[in-house]
Amino acid sequence: MKRNLFMAVLVSVALAGGAFALSIGDKAPSTNVKMKNVDGRELSIADVAGREGTLVIFSCNHCPFVKAWQGRIASLGNAAKGKGVGVIVINSNDPTSFPEDGFSEMQKRAEQLGFTFPYVVDATSDVARAYGATRTPEAFLFDKDGKLVYHGAIDDSKEADQVSKHYLQDAIDALVGGKEVATKETKFVGCGIKFRPKA
Amino acid sequence: MAIRNGWLAGFSFLVAAWLSGCGSTTSVRVEDVRVTPVTAADIQRAVRTAGAKAVLVNMWATWCGPCREEFPGLVRVAHKYQGQGLKVMLVSADSDTDLAAVKRFLSEQGVDFPAYIKAEKDQPFIDGMDKRWTGALPATFLYDGAGKLRDFWEGTASFNVFEQKVVEVLGKQAKPTGGKS
Repeated sequence: MKRNLFMAVLVSVALAGGAFALSIGDKAPSTNVKMKNVDGRELSIADVAGREGTLVIFSCNHCPFVKAWQGRIASLGNAAKGKGVGVIVINSNDPTSFPEDGFSEMQKRAEQLGFTFPYVVDATSDVARAYGATRTPEAFLFDKDGKLVYHGAIDDSKEADQVSKHYLQDAIDALVGGKEVATKETKFVGCGIKFRPKA
Repeated sequence: MAIRNGWLAGFSFLVAAWLSGCGSTTSVRVEDVRVTPVTAADIQRAVRTAGAKAVLVNMWATWCGPCREEFPGLVRVAHKYQGQGLKVMLVSADSDTDLAAVKRFLSEQGVDFPAYIKAEKDQPFIDGMDKRWTGALPATFLYDGAGKLRDFWEGTASFNVFEQKVVEVLGKQAKPTGGKS
Protein backbone atom coordinates (compact mmCIF):
# COMPACT_ATOMS: atom_id res chain seq x y z
CA MET A 1 0.00 0.00 0.00
CA LYS A 2 2.78 2.35 1.05
CA ARG A 3 4.70 1.40 -2.07
CA ASN A 4 1.69 2.16 -4.24
CA LEU A 5 1.29 5.55 -2.63
CA PHE A 6 4.97 6.32 -3.13
CA MET A 7 4.72 5.32 -6.79
CA ALA A 8 1.61 7.45 -7.22
CA VAL A 9 3.48 10.45 -5.84
CA LEU A 10 6.43 9.77 -8.11
CA VAL A 11 4.18 9.46 -11.15
CA SER A 12 2.36 12.66 -10.22
CA VAL A 13 5.63 14.56 -10.03
CA ALA A 14 7.00 13.02 -13.22
CA LEU A 15 3.87 13.86 -15.18
CA ALA A 16 3.92 17.47 -14.07
CA GLY A 17 7.22 18.39 -15.68
CA GLY A 18 9.15 17.20 -18.65
CA ALA A 19 11.38 14.84 -16.70
CA PHE A 20 13.55 14.82 -13.63
CA ALA A 21 16.03 17.69 -13.50
CA LEU A 22 19.72 17.24 -14.13
CA SER A 23 21.93 16.64 -11.13
CA ILE A 24 25.06 18.59 -10.31
CA GLY A 25 27.94 17.06 -12.26
CA ASP A 26 25.72 15.80 -15.09
CA LYS A 27 26.79 16.57 -18.64
CA ALA A 28 24.79 19.11 -20.62
CA PRO A 29 22.30 17.21 -22.83
CA SER A 30 20.93 18.16 -26.27
CA THR A 31 23.87 20.43 -26.98
CA ASN A 32 23.73 19.89 -30.74
CA VAL A 33 20.04 20.63 -31.25
CA LYS A 34 19.71 23.59 -33.59
CA MET A 35 17.26 26.26 -32.48
CA LYS A 36 16.13 29.39 -34.27
CA ASN A 37 17.64 32.55 -32.82
CA VAL A 38 15.92 35.94 -32.88
CA ASP A 39 18.40 37.01 -35.59
CA GLY A 40 17.22 34.14 -37.81
CA ARG A 41 20.32 31.95 -37.41
CA GLU A 42 20.05 28.31 -36.30
CA LEU A 43 22.17 27.86 -33.18
CA SER A 44 22.85 25.05 -30.76
CA ILE A 45 24.07 25.18 -27.16
CA ALA A 46 27.41 23.80 -28.39
CA ASP A 47 27.66 26.72 -30.83
CA VAL A 48 27.64 29.27 -28.01
CA ALA A 49 29.82 27.41 -25.49
CA GLY A 50 32.45 29.68 -23.90
CA ARG A 51 36.03 28.94 -22.92
CA GLU A 52 35.06 28.98 -19.22
CA GLY A 53 31.62 27.42 -19.45
CA THR A 54 28.07 27.82 -20.69
CA LEU A 55 24.98 29.39 -19.16
CA VAL A 56 21.60 28.06 -20.32
CA ILE A 57 18.48 29.87 -19.14
CA PHE A 58 14.97 28.65 -19.89
CA SER A 59 12.82 31.73 -20.19
CA CYS A 60 9.92 33.23 -22.12
CA ASN A 61 8.16 36.55 -22.62
CA HIS A 62 4.80 36.40 -20.86
CA CYS A 63 5.71 35.23 -17.38
CA PRO A 64 5.55 37.93 -14.69
CA PHE A 65 8.56 36.35 -12.98
CA VAL A 66 10.57 36.58 -16.20
CA LYS A 67 9.47 40.19 -16.55
CA ALA A 68 10.67 40.86 -13.02
CA TRP A 69 14.04 39.22 -13.67
CA GLN A 70 14.64 39.99 -17.36
CA GLY A 71 16.66 43.16 -16.75
CA ARG A 72 18.93 41.24 -14.41
CA ILE A 73 19.18 38.37 -16.93
CA ALA A 74 20.24 40.84 -19.64
CA SER A 75 22.96 42.51 -17.60
CA LEU A 76 24.20 39.28 -16.06
CA GLY A 77 24.20 37.47 -19.44
CA ASN A 78 25.97 40.31 -21.23
CA ALA A 79 28.61 40.46 -18.49
CA ALA A 80 29.08 36.68 -18.42
CA LYS A 81 29.91 36.67 -22.12
CA GLY A 82 32.73 39.10 -21.41
CA LYS A 83 34.13 36.65 -18.86
CA GLY A 84 34.30 33.76 -21.31
CA VAL A 85 30.99 32.14 -20.38
CA GLY A 86 28.78 31.36 -23.36
CA VAL A 87 25.14 32.35 -22.83
CA ILE A 88 21.94 31.15 -24.44
CA VAL A 89 18.35 31.89 -23.41
CA ILE A 90 15.81 29.32 -24.57
CA ASN A 91 12.06 29.77 -24.95
CA SER A 92 10.42 26.32 -24.76
CA ASN A 93 6.87 27.58 -24.28
CA ASP A 94 4.11 26.68 -26.68
CA PRO A 95 2.99 30.10 -27.97
CA THR A 96 -0.55 28.81 -28.45
CA SER A 97 -0.81 29.06 -24.65
CA PHE A 98 0.50 32.63 -24.64
CA PRO A 99 0.85 34.46 -28.00
CA GLU A 100 3.22 36.86 -26.20
CA ASP A 101 5.74 33.98 -26.31
CA GLY A 102 5.76 33.94 -30.14
CA PHE A 103 8.89 34.50 -32.23
CA SER A 104 8.24 38.11 -33.29
CA GLU A 105 7.60 39.07 -29.67
CA MET A 106 10.87 37.37 -28.70
CA GLN A 107 12.70 39.47 -31.29
CA LYS A 108 11.20 42.66 -29.85
CA ARG A 109 12.04 41.65 -26.28
CA ALA A 110 15.65 40.77 -27.09
CA GLU A 111 16.10 44.13 -28.78
CA GLN A 112 14.41 46.10 -26.00
CA LEU A 113 16.57 44.44 -23.35
CA GLY A 114 19.78 44.66 -25.35
CA PHE A 115 20.60 40.94 -25.32
CA THR A 116 24.06 40.40 -26.81
CA PHE A 117 23.51 36.64 -26.53
CA PRO A 118 21.11 34.33 -28.41
CA TYR A 119 17.44 34.03 -27.48
CA VAL A 120 16.22 30.91 -29.27
CA VAL A 121 13.09 28.84 -29.83
CA ASP A 122 12.94 25.26 -28.55
CA ALA A 123 10.40 24.32 -31.21
CA THR A 124 9.47 20.94 -29.71
CA SER A 125 10.08 21.78 -26.02
CA ASP A 126 12.32 18.69 -26.04
CA VAL A 127 15.40 20.62 -24.97
CA ALA A 128 13.56 21.72 -21.82
CA ARG A 129 12.46 18.12 -21.29
CA ALA A 130 16.06 16.90 -21.65
CA TYR A 131 17.18 19.34 -18.95
CA GLY A 132 14.20 18.60 -16.72
CA ALA A 133 13.45 22.31 -16.71
CA THR A 134 10.01 23.10 -15.31
CA ARG A 135 9.85 26.84 -14.75
CA THR A 136 10.87 30.17 -16.18
CA PRO A 137 13.37 31.68 -15.64
CA GLU A 138 15.43 28.60 -14.72
CA ALA A 139 19.25 28.69 -15.00
CA PHE A 140 21.74 25.88 -15.69
CA LEU A 141 25.46 26.75 -15.54
CA PHE A 142 28.01 24.30 -16.98
CA ASP A 143 31.78 24.33 -16.67
CA LYS A 144 34.16 24.13 -19.65
CA ASP A 145 33.82 20.33 -19.64
CA GLY A 146 30.07 20.64 -19.95
CA LYS A 147 29.33 19.50 -16.39
CA LEU A 148 26.55 21.14 -14.40
CA VAL A 149 27.89 23.33 -11.59
CA TYR A 150 24.80 25.40 -10.76
CA HIS A 151 21.05 24.97 -11.27
CA GLY A 152 18.21 27.15 -10.10
CA ALA A 153 17.26 30.75 -9.55
CA ILE A 154 18.92 33.93 -10.76
CA ASP A 155 18.92 35.28 -7.21
CA ASP A 156 16.78 35.05 -4.10
CA SER A 157 14.06 37.59 -4.80
CA LYS A 158 11.77 38.54 -7.64
CA GLU A 159 11.88 42.07 -6.26
CA ALA A 160 15.22 43.58 -7.29
CA ASP A 161 15.43 45.74 -4.16
CA GLN A 162 15.03 42.72 -1.88
CA VAL A 163 17.83 40.58 -3.29
CA SER A 164 20.32 39.44 -0.68
CA LYS A 165 21.81 36.39 -2.40
CA HIS A 166 23.11 36.61 -5.97
CA TYR A 167 23.18 32.86 -6.63
CA LEU A 168 23.89 32.85 -10.36
CA GLN A 169 26.33 35.76 -10.30
CA ASP A 170 28.27 34.09 -7.46
CA ALA A 171 28.31 30.79 -9.35
CA ILE A 172 29.64 32.47 -12.51
CA ASP A 173 32.29 34.31 -10.50
CA ALA A 174 33.36 31.06 -8.84
CA LEU A 175 33.45 29.23 -12.18
CA VAL A 176 35.52 31.92 -13.86
CA GLY A 177 37.77 32.23 -10.80
CA GLY A 178 38.48 28.50 -10.82
CA LYS A 179 36.73 27.96 -7.47
CA GLU A 180 34.04 25.53 -6.45
CA VAL A 181 30.52 26.94 -6.62
CA ALA A 182 29.32 27.28 -3.02
CA THR A 183 25.55 27.16 -3.56
CA LYS A 184 24.97 24.62 -6.30
CA GLU A 185 21.19 24.30 -6.34
CA THR A 186 18.40 26.70 -5.46
CA LYS A 187 14.64 26.74 -5.85
CA PHE A 188 12.19 29.47 -6.69
CA VAL A 189 8.55 29.98 -7.54
CA GLY A 190 8.19 30.57 -11.26
CA CYS A 191 5.82 30.09 -14.16
CA GLY A 192 5.53 26.50 -15.32
CA ILE A 193 6.93 25.86 -18.82
CA LYS A 194 4.06 25.47 -21.28
CA PHE A 195 5.32 22.32 -22.99
CA ARG A 196 4.28 21.53 -26.54
CA PRO A 197 2.63 18.12 -26.90
CA LYS A 198 5.15 15.32 -27.38
CA ALA A 199 5.60 14.33 -31.02
CA MET B 1 -49.25 28.84 -25.32
CA ALA B 2 -49.65 27.32 -21.85
CA ILE B 3 -47.73 24.27 -23.04
CA ARG B 4 -44.96 26.51 -24.44
CA ASN B 5 -44.70 28.46 -21.17
CA GLY B 6 -44.62 25.24 -19.21
CA TRP B 7 -41.86 23.89 -21.42
CA LEU B 8 -39.86 27.10 -20.99
CA ALA B 9 -40.29 27.00 -17.22
CA GLY B 10 -39.18 23.38 -17.16
CA PHE B 11 -36.18 24.16 -19.36
CA SER B 12 -35.20 27.11 -17.13
CA PHE B 13 -35.41 24.88 -14.07
CA LEU B 14 -33.18 22.29 -15.72
CA VAL B 15 -30.61 24.92 -16.73
CA ALA B 16 -30.59 26.33 -13.19
CA ALA B 17 -30.19 22.84 -11.73
CA TRP B 18 -27.35 22.07 -14.15
CA LEU B 19 -25.56 25.31 -13.30
CA SER B 20 -25.94 24.56 -9.63
CA GLY B 21 -24.50 21.08 -10.19
CA CYS B 22 -21.54 22.62 -12.01
CA GLY B 23 -20.61 24.50 -8.89
CA SER B 24 -21.31 28.03 -10.08
CA THR B 25 -19.73 30.37 -7.58
CA THR B 26 -21.31 33.05 -5.46
CA SER B 27 -18.97 35.97 -5.09
CA VAL B 28 -17.91 37.11 -1.65
CA ARG B 29 -17.48 40.80 -0.78
CA VAL B 30 -13.82 41.80 -1.11
CA GLU B 31 -13.87 43.32 2.38
CA ASP B 32 -14.93 39.92 3.76
CA VAL B 33 -12.01 38.04 2.20
CA ARG B 34 -9.39 37.12 4.79
CA VAL B 35 -5.79 36.62 3.66
CA THR B 36 -3.11 35.81 6.25
CA PRO B 37 0.67 35.94 5.54
CA VAL B 38 2.30 32.53 6.13
CA THR B 39 5.65 30.78 6.05
CA ALA B 40 6.05 27.09 5.22
CA ALA B 41 6.43 26.39 8.94
CA ASP B 42 3.11 28.15 9.60
CA ILE B 43 1.43 25.96 7.00
CA GLN B 44 2.91 22.75 8.39
CA ARG B 45 1.76 23.77 11.87
CA ALA B 46 -1.72 24.56 10.60
CA VAL B 47 -1.90 21.19 8.81
CA ARG B 48 -0.94 19.32 11.98
CA THR B 49 -3.41 21.20 14.17
CA ALA B 50 -6.26 21.49 11.71
CA GLY B 51 -8.39 18.85 13.41
CA ALA B 52 -9.54 17.80 9.94
CA LYS B 53 -9.63 14.40 8.27
CA ALA B 54 -7.84 15.81 5.23
CA VAL B 55 -6.06 19.07 4.45
CA LEU B 56 -5.53 20.22 0.88
CA VAL B 57 -2.93 22.98 0.40
CA ASN B 58 -2.88 24.65 -3.01
CA MET B 59 -0.17 27.07 -4.14
CA TRP B 60 -1.37 29.52 -6.75
CA ALA B 61 -0.91 33.08 -8.01
CA THR B 62 -3.12 35.64 -9.72
CA TRP B 63 -0.71 35.82 -12.68
CA CYS B 64 -0.67 32.04 -13.15
CA GLY B 65 -3.12 31.07 -15.91
CA PRO B 66 -3.30 27.36 -15.08
CA CYS B 67 -3.86 28.22 -11.41
CA ARG B 68 -6.82 30.43 -12.31
CA GLU B 69 -8.12 27.68 -14.57
CA GLU B 70 -8.28 25.05 -11.83
CA PHE B 71 -9.52 27.43 -9.13
CA PRO B 72 -13.29 26.91 -9.55
CA GLY B 73 -12.81 23.15 -9.11
CA LEU B 74 -10.79 23.74 -5.95
CA VAL B 75 -13.36 26.07 -4.43
CA ARG B 76 -16.11 23.65 -5.34
CA VAL B 77 -14.38 20.71 -3.66
CA ALA B 78 -13.70 22.89 -0.61
CA HIS B 79 -17.36 23.80 -0.27
CA LYS B 80 -18.59 20.30 -0.99
CA TYR B 81 -16.40 18.50 1.54
CA GLN B 82 -15.90 21.05 4.29
CA GLY B 83 -18.71 19.42 6.26
CA GLN B 84 -17.08 16.01 5.88
CA GLY B 85 -13.71 16.87 7.39
CA LEU B 86 -11.83 18.60 4.56
CA LYS B 87 -9.88 21.80 5.15
CA VAL B 88 -8.60 23.67 2.09
CA MET B 89 -5.73 26.16 2.42
CA LEU B 90 -5.29 28.37 -0.64
CA VAL B 91 -1.83 29.95 -0.50
CA SER B 92 -1.05 32.75 -2.93
CA ALA B 93 2.54 33.11 -4.12
CA ASP B 94 1.89 36.69 -5.23
CA SER B 95 3.94 39.54 -3.83
CA ASP B 96 2.44 41.30 -0.83
CA THR B 97 2.17 44.36 -3.06
CA ASP B 98 -0.45 42.40 -5.05
CA LEU B 99 -2.64 41.72 -2.04
CA ALA B 100 -5.55 43.77 -3.44
CA ALA B 101 -5.55 41.69 -6.64
CA VAL B 102 -5.39 38.49 -4.59
CA LYS B 103 -8.40 39.52 -2.52
CA ARG B 104 -10.31 40.58 -5.62
CA PHE B 105 -9.73 37.21 -7.27
CA LEU B 106 -10.67 35.25 -4.14
CA SER B 107 -13.80 37.38 -3.85
CA GLU B 108 -14.80 36.63 -7.46
CA GLN B 109 -14.20 32.92 -6.87
CA GLY B 110 -16.45 32.86 -3.80
CA VAL B 111 -13.74 31.97 -1.28
CA ASP B 112 -15.57 32.44 2.02
CA PHE B 113 -12.98 30.59 4.14
CA PRO B 114 -9.53 31.81 5.33
CA ALA B 115 -6.89 32.15 2.63
CA TYR B 116 -3.15 32.80 2.82
CA ILE B 117 -0.26 34.57 1.10
CA LYS B 118 3.40 33.53 1.06
CA ALA B 119 5.49 35.66 3.41
CA GLU B 120 8.90 34.07 3.00
CA LYS B 121 11.61 33.91 0.34
CA ASP B 122 11.21 31.16 -2.24
CA GLN B 123 13.99 28.76 -1.26
CA PRO B 124 13.04 28.24 2.42
CA PHE B 125 9.34 28.29 1.51
CA ILE B 126 9.65 25.59 -1.16
CA ASP B 127 11.96 23.34 0.83
CA GLY B 128 9.82 23.87 3.92
CA MET B 129 6.84 22.44 2.06
CA ASP B 130 8.51 19.49 0.32
CA LYS B 131 11.96 18.92 -1.19
CA ARG B 132 10.37 17.48 -4.33
CA TRP B 133 8.48 20.68 -5.13
CA THR B 134 10.40 22.51 -7.88
CA GLY B 135 8.54 25.76 -7.24
CA ALA B 136 6.30 25.44 -10.31
CA LEU B 137 2.70 26.60 -9.95
CA PRO B 138 0.10 25.40 -9.37
CA ALA B 139 1.23 22.88 -6.79
CA THR B 140 -1.05 20.88 -4.52
CA PHE B 141 -0.28 19.02 -1.29
CA LEU B 142 -2.83 16.66 0.25
CA TYR B 143 -2.40 15.61 3.89
CA ASP B 144 -4.33 13.17 6.04
CA GLY B 145 -5.73 13.93 9.49
CA ALA B 146 -2.40 13.05 11.12
CA GLY B 147 -0.62 15.67 9.02
CA LYS B 148 1.09 13.08 6.80
CA LEU B 149 1.58 14.06 3.16
CA ARG B 150 -0.53 11.62 1.13
CA ASP B 151 -0.24 13.15 -2.33
CA PHE B 152 1.60 15.94 -4.10
CA TRP B 153 1.55 17.14 -7.66
CA GLU B 154 2.56 20.08 -9.80
CA GLY B 155 0.24 21.24 -12.56
CA THR B 156 -3.51 21.55 -12.86
CA ALA B 157 -6.24 19.16 -11.82
CA SER B 158 -9.95 19.07 -12.58
CA PHE B 159 -12.74 19.05 -10.00
CA ASN B 160 -13.12 15.30 -10.54
CA VAL B 161 -9.43 14.68 -9.81
CA PHE B 162 -9.48 16.86 -6.69
CA GLU B 163 -12.63 15.07 -5.52
CA GLN B 164 -11.26 11.59 -6.16
CA LYS B 165 -8.04 12.30 -4.28
CA VAL B 166 -9.80 14.02 -1.39
CA VAL B 167 -12.35 11.22 -1.02
CA GLU B 168 -9.51 8.69 -0.97
CA VAL B 169 -8.00 10.45 2.05
CA LEU B 170 -11.29 11.23 3.76
CA GLY B 171 -12.24 7.58 3.61
CA LYS B 172 -15.34 5.74 2.66
CA GLN B 173 -17.67 7.93 4.69
CA ALA B 174 -17.21 10.77 2.19
CA LYS B 175 -19.88 10.99 -0.47
CA PRO B 176 -18.68 11.83 -3.97
CA THR B 177 -21.38 12.66 -6.45
CA GLY B 178 -19.23 13.21 -9.51
CA GLY B 179 -19.94 16.09 -11.82
CA LYS B 180 -18.33 18.10 -14.54
CA SER B 181 -14.72 19.07 -14.13
